[in-house]
Amino acid sequence: MTVVRARTPTKRKPSKKNKDNLAAFLFLAPWLLGLVLVTLGPMVASFVLSFTDYNLLQPPEWAGFDNFVRMLGDERLHNSLRVTVVYVVVSVPLQLGLALLLAVVLDRGVRGMAFYRSVFYLPSLLGSSVAIAILWKQVFGTDGLVNHFLGLFGIPGRGWISEPETALSSLIVLNVWTFGAPMVIFLAGLRQIPAMYYEAAAVDGAGPLRRFRSVTLPLLTPIIFFNLVLQIIHAFQAFTQAFVVSNGTGGPSDSTLFVTVYVYQRAFANFDMGYASAIAWLLLVIVAGFTALNFVAARYWVFYDD
Amino acid sequence: MMRRDVSRRSILLGVPAVLGLAACSGNSAGSTELSSEPVTLRFTWWGSDARHQRTQQVIKLFEAKHKNITVKGEFKEWNGYWDSLATSAAAQDAPDVIQMDELYLASYAERGALLDLTTVKAHLDTSGIDGDVLATGKVEDKQYAVPTGLAAYSMVANTDLLDRFGIDLPDDDTWTWDDLKEIGGKVSAAGGGQVTGVQSWGFDMGGLNIWTRQSGGKLFADNGDVAVKPAVLVDYWNYLVDLAQQRVAPAPAVTVERATASLDQSGTATNTSAFGTWWNTQLTSLAAASGQKLKLLKLPGEADAKQRGVYDKPSMYWSIFSRSKHPGEAALLVDFLANNRDAANVMGTDRGVPVNKEIRELIQPKLEPADQAAVEYLNTIKVSKPPRVTPNGASDIEKILQRHTEQVLFGQVRPEQAAQSFISELQSEIDAAA
Repeated sequence: MTVVRARTPTKRKPSKKNKDNLAAFLFLAPWLLGLVLVTLGPMVASFVLSFTDYNLLQPPEWAGFDNFVRMLGDERLHNSLRVTVVYVVVSVPLQLGLALLLAVVLDRGVRGMAFYRSVFYLPSLLGSSVAIAILWKQVFGTDGLVNHFLGLFGIPGRGWISEPETALSSLIVLNVWTFGAPMVIFLAGLRQIPAMYYEAAAVDGAGPLRRFRSVTLPLLTPIIFFNLVLQIIHAFQAFTQAFVVSNGTGGPSDSTLFVTVYVYQRAFANFDMGYASAIAWLLLVIVAGFTALNFVAARYWVFYDD
Repeated sequence: MMRRDVSRRSILLGVPAVLGLAACSGNSAGSTELSSEPVTLRFTWWGSDARHQRTQQVIKLFEAKHKNITVKGEFKEWNGYWDSLATSAAAQDAPDVIQMDELYLASYAERGALLDLTTVKAHLDTSGIDGDVLATGKVEDKQYAVPTGLAAYSMVANTDLLDRFGIDLPDDDTWTWDDLKEIGGKVSAAGGGQVTGVQSWGFDMGGLNIWTRQSGGKLFADNGDVAVKPAVLVDYWNYLVDLAQQRVAPAPAVTVERATASLDQSGTATNTSAFGTWWNTQLTSLAAASGQKLKLLKLPGEADAKQRGVYDKPSMYWSIFSRSKHPGEAALLVDFLANNRDAANVMGTDRGVPVNKEIRELIQPKLEPADQAAVEYLNTIKVSKPPRVTPNGASDIEKILQRHTEQVLFGQVRPEQAAQSFISELQSEIDAAA
């Protein structure tokens, strides 16, 4: 094919363009296929299913808006929304704050920085894995590391993940601990800030805190915004930690019942895939809403240098 | 013919899942004729380490007898088992031979996930099983499951612990729940925080069934509706709260932790609780994990109960996935598990005291002490008529129970509120499935 086309000079221009397009699509093909088959297809399916009564083992039956009406009176769903929002609203700012703090410290040119960067990044690689969740369960268990450590100082321990008051906090700590990914992005952002701003500020007599507040922070706002959007979406989708730590129950007494865990329970423990799909779409709308809100708010606090 | 099948399948794989749903209704089950070609069966069960080892041995025996069949065992612990089975059944990819529980039997059978075993009766002999017991595997008058054995609820006591603290065994013909509380309190006091008297419960269907039956009621009415009275649930939770508050049982945090842990991590298995409620046939696994002397006692409260709580429960069932590609071979494996003498010798009473009388008599003299004790327990207790099979939709009862027990133990709701909420939630799940 290509040989034939190369010999017909009159058609060279459009064919070159077509060829480029073809090449582009070829390179995109794996991703496009993945998008259509693994993401879009199931999304369309779940959207259709959200209007059905589907018990997984028998064909779905059309149910109209029943599933959405049912949400209004479902107290466990309301509780799971509350738990999820608390998790997002508390853990994301803490995580980003810690990430920014460490990024600024590491950016100072600490000796062996590459080593520290890797060490701090490590939890991010492991954070949402099953292995870490199991480790968390041991560490925060009644007979776990944390209680033994507290015992050294005579402080009575408790069941950090088996008591409703503290279970969610334990998961929040786990999420905050995986601050490595935003930290690396902050580090890259810090490198982008021209040194001359700091020099000028120093000449004007600004101390380190003032330089951070008046130079670093404003110039870093686009990066903070990026991290905020990403981590909020990420936190809304948290599943593995809560599922493994509570053994799939979202317990004790629903205190760690994320919406994702509830969706899973309805779908696979209660054979209630139609309703589960409807809740999944509710979650999508909520995440989209938070993201839109973020973009609107960004106009007032994000500063673009150029 | 072959070609067309292959291409049809690849087309199905290629279209988005929404269209694939249409295929769910089609029956793609294989032929019940036995194949002479190599066949691979998938076989799944839940259980403890001891059961895994025994079952692997039985698989080897089966493969030696049927050279062209390979059996792939997929074993899990209880909690993960049902999530995984639901997912794989929904994907039309469940294992061929499935260890089934009474809790889930109706839910799977009424939704068409299990094979009607009369279609494979050429390969599966059920004549050795008592008719009444075999009937417990029926749903809507079709035989979807073969019971593996019988079990009865019991109290397992660690006599090594009691000896160490110088506490006498109670008389289990007359003892009451108050006696259990009292003797458990003595153990906790002597145990110095390391050992508690009772391993608290409140998360399993067996315990709730017993409590309800002793009060003269039942958990489910014959038509499948929830029938337990709120006052009975209130008593049940008040007793559990008493155990926790008087330190007869571990603190609620520990109880909750153990509720979702495996048998091997329980208070009985780790010798940290002197008394625990278990199915009698779990004694084998418990004894293996504990390493100490464990004794089966009759349940408290039976003597002064309005109706005997204890009953013969089909401990579990064998069933076959309705879309199995090899239903004939799967039936052969079930037949082997239910009727083969060598298999029975290996399994002992781990899946219940065998219901096949011939098998029961065969293995009884050769049993290890823990198995012997389990058989003897079943022979000596006086039982009453078993409860109906858990209705479709109520399979989640233990999770609903666990959540309410947690709320009560942590003082978040009063037992009265929990009772109302438990009943209405369970009933709505049953209504939704109907």
